[in-house]
Amino acid sequence: MAHDKRPLSPDLQIYKPQLTSVLSISHRVSGIALSVGTLLLVSWLLAAAAGPQAYSTVQGFMHSWLGLLLMLGWTFSFFFHLCNGIRHLVWDAGYGFELRTIYASGWTVVAASAALTVAAWFSSFVVMG
Amino acid sequence: MFIRSSDQLPSVTVLRRFPVPRNFNVSTESRIERGKTWHAPADATRVKSFEIYRYDPDSGQNPRIDTYEVDLNTCGPMVLDALIAIKNEIDPTLTFRRSCREGVCGSCSMNIDGTNWLACTRFISDTMEPATIYPLNHLRVIKDLVPDLTQLFAQYGLIEPWLQTTTPEPEKERLQSPEDRGKLDGFYECILCFCCTSGCPSHWWNGDRFLGPAVLLQSYRWLIDSRDEAAGDRLDDLEDPFRLYRCHTILNCTRTCPKQLNPGKAIAAIKKMIVQRRS
Amino acid sequence: MRSPLSRARGLGSSRDGFQHWWMQRVTAVALIPLTLWFAASLIALTGSDYNTFIAWLKAPVVTVFMVLLLIALCHHMGLGLRVVVEDYAHSDWAKVPAVVAIRCACFALAVVGIFATLRIAFDR
Repeated sequence: MAHDKRPLSPDLQIYKPQLTSVLSISHRVSGIALSVGTLLLVSWLLAAAAGPQAYSTVQGFMHSWLGLLLMLGWTFSFFFHLCNGIRHLVWDAGYGFELRTIYASGWTVVAASAALTVAAWFSSFVVMG
Repeated sequence: MFIRSSDQLPSVTVLRRFPVPRNFNVSTESRIERGKTWHAPADATRVKSFEIYRYDPDSGQNPRIDTYEVDLNTCGPMVLDALIAIKNEIDPTLTFRRSCREGVCGSCSMNIDGTNWLACTRFISDTMEPATIYPLNHLRVIKDLVPDLTQLFAQYGLIEPWLQTTTPEPEKERLQSPEDRGKLDGFYECILCFCCTSGCPSHWWNGDRFLGPAVLLQSYRWLIDSRDEAAGDRLDDLEDPFRLYRCHTILNCTRTCPKQLNPGKAIAAIKKMIVQRRS
Repeated sequence: MRSPLSRARGLGSSRDGFQHWWMQRVTAVALIPLTLWFAASLIALTGSDYNTFIAWLKAPVVTVFMVLLLIALCHHMGLGLRVVVEDYAHSDWAKVPAVVAIRCACFALAVVGIFATLRIAFDR
């Protein structure tokens, strides 16, 4: 039938990335990253329950350069998902839908996530001495 | 950076499109190919290029991008004026919908420079060089810039956008206070151009079941109409993991509405109504 | 040869979907203090050895918070991943097994995590 052969107009291939769509997909990507992190969290707890040897293996990996990189990615994902999640909860309550508020809150979330990540890592270094 | 209203254009464009291949995840019949270039006459002074999506259903070929160089001295200030000038003077086969030329009918909605807007209210001076014009996103293309809106209008009919009452008709008109009439402001003005729905990624991936912002905005318009008596049935029909809850508050809809309406807010209000009737 | 309205109507409204949406928000609200507490604890525990960590986890408040965190986290995660699968997978043979697998995996993950926490807490 002729209708089956009609082409589909492009969507993701040509639509302009805007703060709205970019923060939304980042929220989803950070959520998936955190899900992987939860797996690692549970395996870390299991290792601690298994004894000091298993625990030190996991700790060793966490302090390797790959582990630290993953931790950095995980902390940023965590703070971003947290701040944007609060923004989502405010929307669910019905507030903050004016376009100027959407953009202001969006940029605030990005800045707050970066600041909180830096603060967390800085405090971590301070605690370690 | 800080957008205050949907008709405000950003001062800086960092990314024109997502970093995916041009024909990413596209079926064979939808792959876009390079088309021809129509050069402006040699004596043209103010020349502007338009890259326009073309598709001819009779040719059996794939869609392509044709580039038209238009002398801005020969056409009006809006993108629609440029399209009409191209059709009149350069290429009469260019096909697009249009009617009122003043932003009230919703016919000329299309994707201009990556975002959905009405061609008759977008100034040429606000477009990039070259300006890129595509049909509304993720819809079957009938020809050139004319998408098939049948499914979108079917979804609109699904929500039964008319007054539903059980009490007998009054002798004169159904009364409504100015306050209740005021609640419809910001929702009745929708011209069903479908810029929002075709710009919603959730509707791209689940458009057969998710109703989309335009239809949900109109269903909210009927939910809050004080004269309507079927709010319960309307909410029953909406409360579905796909019809309503595919909305993840992406808010591309509010960003792109050419009439400055707020579908995202209306959808959040519908979700709140569903919470309210359970508590 | 279906009419557009029939295709749009599909199998009708399931009159459901609120529970999933609501629990996502409830677990999210619960997770705000729980995850902030967890992040702060992790920072405070940086560079500590095995025994310090075990002693910290044995404290009753910490054990309870950890169990609550695991429950809320696995539930929130399961609901979120289910939404992702429903968005992108369209054929039934892809969607249904994936949703079932995610449900089971999250439940198992919560059980394993709680087991490990309680094992540490009650080990003499």
